[in-house]
Amino acid sequence: MPEEELLRVSNIDVFYGGLQALWDVSLIVRSGEIVAIIGANGAGKSTLLNAISGIIHPKKGSIEFDGQNIRALEHFEIVGLGICQVPEAGRLFPLMTVSENLDIGSYNRNARSKRHQNLLKVYEHFPILQARKNQLAKTLSGGERQMLAIGRGLMSNPRVMFFDEMSLGLSPIVINELYRVLREIRKRGITAAIVEQNVRRSLKEGDRAYIMEAGRIVLSGDTADLRDEDKIRKAYFGS
Amino acid sequence: MNILADLASTITMGIMLGGLYALVALGLSIVFGVMRLINVAHGDLLLLASYLALTLMTYLGLDPIIGLVIVIPALFFIGFVVQKYLLNRAFTISMEAPLIIAFGISIVLQNVFQILWSPLSRGLTTSYTLKSFSIGALNLPLVYLLDFFVGVIVMIFLHQFLHRTYLGKAINAASQDRRAAHLMGINTKQVYAFAFAIAMAIAAIAGVFVGLTFPFTPQSGVSFLIIAFGVVVLGGLGSIAGTFVGGLVMGLAQTLGGYFLGTNAQMLIAYLIVIVLLATRPQGLFGR
Repeated sequence: MPEEELLRVSNIDVFYGGLQALWDVSLIVRSGEIVAIIGANGAGKSTLLNAISGIIHPKKGSIEFDGQNIRALEHFEIVGLGICQVPEAGRLFPLMTVSENLDIGSYNRNARSKRHQNLLKVYEHFPILQARKNQLAKTLSGGERQMLAIGRGLMSNPRVMFFDEMSLGLSPIVINELYRVLREIRKRGITAAIVEQNVRRSLKEGDRAYIMEAGRIVLSGDTADLRDEDKIRKAYFGS
Repeated sequence: MNILADLASTITMGIMLGGLYALVALGLSIVFGVMRLINVAHGDLLLLASYLALTLMTYLGLDPIIGLVIVIPALFFIGFVVQKYLLNRAFTISMEAPLIIAFGISIVLQNVFQILWSPLSRGLTTSYTLKSFSIGALNLPLVYLLDFFVGVIVMIFLHQFLHRTYLGKAINAASQDRRAAHLMGINTKQVYAFAFAIAMAIAAIAGVFVGLTFPFTPQSGVSFLIIAFGVVVLGGLGSIAGTFVGGLVMGLAQTLGGYFLGTNAQMLIAYLIVIVLLATRPQGLFGR
């Protein structure tokens, strides 16, 4: 396992207007691992992702990526560094074709020159996208949409990808397929962070996990240890 | 036979005028589609291009169509600056703030036109504006033909731009889901500035051909704004094909209205169609 630290979030506080959404949140993502961020709806998972993506800036604390402080950077600068968020429900551009959606993924300057080779890889991971490349995104099925959202993320030439509720509302077969691709992506050297309500699945797929509750990280560690943790069993498995 | 020829030429002129009206409406449609702003200064900005072309013609002897080389970049620049330094900031205050700024721009421009060019009626009169051409029994003004072809060419270019270039796709993306566009690394404020600039560059072309086709006064901006509204309501916002069809309907309604009801009532049918459509299909013929 490579142990090099890629992303370090240290003690951030995030506010929406006057409302505090995150308290003293810290998290580390190491190069090459799959990190799971687990929590119920409203626990602050998406807020944490948006802080990392530069959509919302923390009031306190720091976010470092590859040794560089990115807390004050704008979202369009952060994407160019190689941090990619695949948002909840995909958020595709519904009136653009599949291939236009993929093109937009490579909008940032660092990804444009690699557009062609990244496109080939995306079609390798998801052959269905190639078959549907001239279709409007809104005509895709739920699973295909999520595949396109992941493909669009891969087009940005990322070093780390955050998957927000990737499996929400999808069938087990599709979810298995998505996780299979996720493992393939990881083999290519892209670090992944999965953000899920699905505790069992996240603990199975991730190397390490952070558990969030009401805007705080309440527990973290190797998933192998966390699976046995009493707290989790009680809170999420009800036994 | 004479009546048939009259009717045929009325219809042909309506279609050609439709190309011009689509051109007039394109900029309004882009700005609404991308920024959700009803740019009430659209007609006045378009008229600014007409007056710029008039000035270039009067003082430098430049043909208005050649003058586009200067007028298009000028309006592109003005559009970029207005969006970047005025409207982008106003959008962070409220949705009404940019609308009020657009009203302000409209009032200022109308007064500038009055002061610099007097309230008199003007026109871009050239050697070819009064020429006509014949197809069979039809005798049509040459400028109408120009209007139509320029309108079609601009629409084709715009379509290609929006679907083939990174900037075009980014404009499209930002208009569909702003947050997702952010996550793709799109600087939406910059994209908005370019979108407004492109809308103004198209308005510049529209302004010059409007000036070649009709006389204009400092108050004419309002009538072009109203025509653009009609086209956009008919065609649905954010659709180039819809804008084209909307333009054709407005052009035809106007010339046929003039033919059957007289010139005083020529816009009556056009706006009756707009009202009926708004009541029955508010998203427009091609609306999303």
